[in-house]
Amino acid sequence: MKKKVIAILLSAVTVLSMIGCGSQAAPTQDSAAPAAEEAPAAEAAAPQSIGNSVEGELSVTIWDEGQRAGLQQIVDEWSAQSGVKATIQVVDWNNYWTLLEAGATGGELPDVFWMHSNVAQKYMENDLLLDLTDKIAASDKIDMKNYYEGIVNLYQSNGKQYAVPKDIDTIALWYNKTIFDEMGVAYPDDTWTWDDFAAAAKKLTNDDHWGYAIAPGNNQEGYYNTIYSMGGYVISDDKKTSGMDDPNSIKAVKLFTDMIADGSCPDLATVSETAPNELLCTGKTAMCISGSWMLAGYRDNEYAAANCDVAVLPFTKSADDRVSIYNGLGWAAAANGKNIDAAWSLIEYLGSKEAQIKQAELGVTMSAYIGTSDSWVNSVKAFDLNGHMKMLDAKLVFRPYSRDTTVWEDMMIEKLQDAWTGEKPVEDVCKDIAAQMNADLAEE
Amino acid sequence: MRTQEKKKISSRQKSEFIWGWLFILPTMLGLIVLNIYPMIDTIRQSFYKTGDFGKGNVFVGLDNYKKVLGDAEVWQALWNTIKYAIVEVPLSLVIALLLAVMLNKKIKGRDVFRTIFFLPMVVAPAAIAMVWKWLYNSNFGLINNTFHIKVNWISDPKIAIYSIAVIGIWSVIGYNMVLFLAGLQEVPRDYYEAAALDGANEWHQLINITVPLISPTIFFVLVTRIIAAMQVFDLIYMLIDLNNPAWKKTESLVFLFYKYSFEQSKKGYGATVVVVLLMVILLLTVVQLIGQKKWVHYD
Amino acid sequence: MKKKISTIVMYVVLAVVSFTMLVPFVWMFLTAFKTTAETMQLDPFVIVPSVWQTQNFGNVIKAMDFVRLYANTLGMMALRILFAVLTATLSGYAFARLEFKGKNIMFALVLLQMMIPVQIFIIPQYVMVSKLHLTNTIFGLVFPGIVSAFGTFLLRQAYMQLPKDLEEAARLDGCNIPKTFFYIMAPLTKSAMVALGIFTAVFAYKDLMWSMIVCPDNRATTLASALAKMNGQYSQKYPELMMAALISCVPMIVIYIIFQKQFIEGIATSGGKL
Repeated sequence: MKKKVIAILLSAVTVLSMIGCGSQAAPTQDSAAPAAEEAPAAEAAAPQSIGNSVEGELSVTIWDEGQRAGLQQIVDEWSAQSGVKATIQVVDWNNYWTLLEAGATGGELPDVFWMHSNVAQKYMENDLLLDLTDKIAASDKIDMKNYYEGIVNLYQSNGKQYAVPKDIDTIALWYNKTIFDEMGVAYPDDTWTWDDFAAAAKKLTNDDHWGYAIAPGNNQEGYYNTIYSMGGYVISDDKKTSGMDDPNSIKAVKLFTDMIADGSCPDLATVSETAPNELLCTGKTAMCISGSWMLAGYRDNEYAAANCDVAVLPFTKSADDRVSIYNGLGWAAAANGKNIDAAWSLIEYLGSKEAQIKQAELGVTMSAYIGTSDSWVNSVKAFDLNGHMKMLDAKLVFRPYSRDTTVWEDMMIEKLQDAWTGEKPVEDVCKDIAAQMNADLAEE
Repeated sequence: MRTQEKKKISSRQKSEFIWGWLFILPTMLGLIVLNIYPMIDTIRQSFYKTGDFGKGNVFVGLDNYKKVLGDAEVWQALWNTIKYAIVEVPLSLVIALLLAVMLNKKIKGRDVFRTIFFLPMVVAPAAIAMVWKWLYNSNFGLINNTFHIKVNWISDPKIAIYSIAVIGIWSVIGYNMVLFLAGLQEVPRDYYEAAALDGANEWHQLINITVPLISPTIFFVLVTRIIAAMQVFDLIYMLIDLNNPAWKKTESLVFLFYKYSFEQSKKGYGATVVVVLLMVILLLTVVQLIGQKKWVHYD
Repeated sequence: MKKKISTIVMYVVLAVVSFTMLVPFVWMFLTAFKTTAETMQLDPFVIVPSVWQTQNFGNVIKAMDFVRLYANTLGMMALRILFAVLTATLSGYAFARLEFKGKNIMFALVLLQMMIPVQIFIIPQYVMVSKLHLTNTIFGLVFPGIVSAFGTFLLRQAYMQLPKDLEEAARLDGCNIPKTFFYIMAPLTKSAMVALGIFTAVFAYKDLMWSMIVCPDNRATTLASALAKMNGQYSQKYPELMMAALISCVPMIVIYIIFQKQFIEGIATSGGKL
């Protein structure tokens, strides 16, 4: 009996090891690469010429499963032209960075991957990303003037461009129509001020649900917007000092902590166990401020699709100070990659007007190429996505970042907990954050 | 005659030397490549302020260690880790031992119980975290709604670490139990019969016969469980996030290491934290290795 | 009479513990068939789904290739068991029963490995696999588990417990060391080998961070990592998460139930020989 079991196991193992290896890209033959390098002009014009330089597949790594299907479709179109196969792999956010870090420290990075504002500076300074400056200059498809400025600047270091902007996100006010109807409150529109918002939240609160929900971690999807809307700032332009102790910044955070204190927002324990967007999806909160990247989640949630919709964010004094904190990913390639030409060709395609329109059409995200996102509005029938679209016309403020953003951002989230629970006055917490943040920035 | 015996011994020694090394060679090669080298590298890093991606490291001597000693967050994390271990290890050990003793008897339904207790071992950690997170949820969780209470199991800083320890116990009982069951097979049944004739009740049998006889197994479980508990990470990582008010009171040393090394790229400081943890574990293990002579009986 | 009471007490204890062990599983099962709204409904609190949402099953199956994930997971487990048991039996015996120079230092290294948090090894190990171009392969998954310090320690404990005279007798009969090991000593530690096999399987199955990093491709990765990924991506669809968790553990439970007799009997028979 035992022998039989072992025999079965062994044969299973043999079969499995064959299956498991199937997806591995074969190492490229170096001999083919130099030939392609000698003729950069020809390759830019006709992507077909790179078809021979890559054996196996190009590896593309991203962190958002929701975007995989749509992006793979676009990548496949590039493959049809170039003859090079490319497969998108998804690694979840935390492990994505561990993976890149490991790749950067001594292994190999994927051929093409996403960059993010949190770490871009560090990757660029260490020459880990392929310098695209000359390639962009030679390209007839890519011109940095066509993209939102903040995203372009983000991926620049020492005058060089290291990534091509992929998308742009905006922040908007998601709300539950059913609860608004039930409580007899008019839906949010572009006339709302932040005070109207707070007053509405109070009216929308009863024993079954809260008016609004926010966690200390909701910065881009929360207090960052009010901080800049009310005239405060998070970090100075030279990235040396914190603006969290600015009276306007404090006022902007206080807007939310007051709502928690008067009960129209759930307490810290609740939002730490069930995130605000989850509360919205189950009818536990009437409003939630969300980024456009959440769309896929809301679309696929049957309750949200049936009951929720989205409006622009409120303003403070006039529509001019309606702020959306935006961010945008970039397509980057590994500097020491083996398939540099193919990688650039793919990035060039992904950044082209054609692919950017397609990205919006497929409802993947709004695109970084200015004016290509219109079709995104119609990508999901359940919601009126103008709430997000119109935020592109609001005052766009790039998401605050520095060289080591996570260090002070995590610290800020931790310290804000005391303001959420009311254990310490908001002023003290914000001043404390500013002091620590200044120390962190000095260490960069 | 005497010289012949001497020669025999030395040839025996020689053969033990050769075979000994041959036998341990695969394991040692693997350990050195996979574990020892990375560990040395980590210890080396703890003396550096690491640059990005392992480039541009600056030697800072003992600075990182000085900083660790004065870092309240590290001490808090050490305390959290110890609190977790103090609850998880003894409880899971005692419960598992009692269950193993019961299941070592020929009782009805033995297979069923054994299977049930071992079940958590075949569940992926993400699944365990997901289901417990929901059981514990203060608003929508089964526990609070069944008993009509309002306890913030995993967001009250005072109790969150113990709630996590409960999950730890739940997950590890089956593992400990199987080891104890294996140990109990070695205990000859006639010992108990003799004891029963002497009028010893079951409790006395447990304390006076079972425990001493399987003391090597208990020792093994104790040592490995303490080490594992001191390295608690997965559960905390999946249950507690930055928004959680219990964050500071649940952060374990490995969690801190992960945060510094992977999330904030302060590899040197992260390495220092983990070297400190290594020292603590080393100390605990050495104490146990010395202490075992008092209560562990081999053969 | 006294015996009867103690038997009753014993069954009560076993039943209570069993109940506690099972609650999370039952909850996982029930939640897997609810609607999202039902999971957060308070008045009344929903225990059993009003309508069993069987389409949750279809949705999850569509999103994840479970057959493939299972194949990868089981393949990794089998290989790790093979390697770990093989190497640990050899080294465990040498550490317990042979005297040779350098033994204590080497054993200290084994103990040391057990005390080090595994996270330390991940980046160097990943770099090795990456340099060998073996990410997203089963080799990558197995790699850190080729040897087992834990297993070495476990097997050493097992050999230590065997009586010394067995070996003496074999030696007097003219058995050399490998013969003594293969024919006399190794068969006596079958229970420890089985136990190591089980634990290797369990640890391999539960290993999360490594498989996520070394095999980011969903076609090459393990159940544990695919599930953890899903946890981050489907936070608003709790029932489907639970369904995925359920699908991932039911076959494991079945395998365990089928094999558990072998496991336990393996332990029992080898124990009986002593």
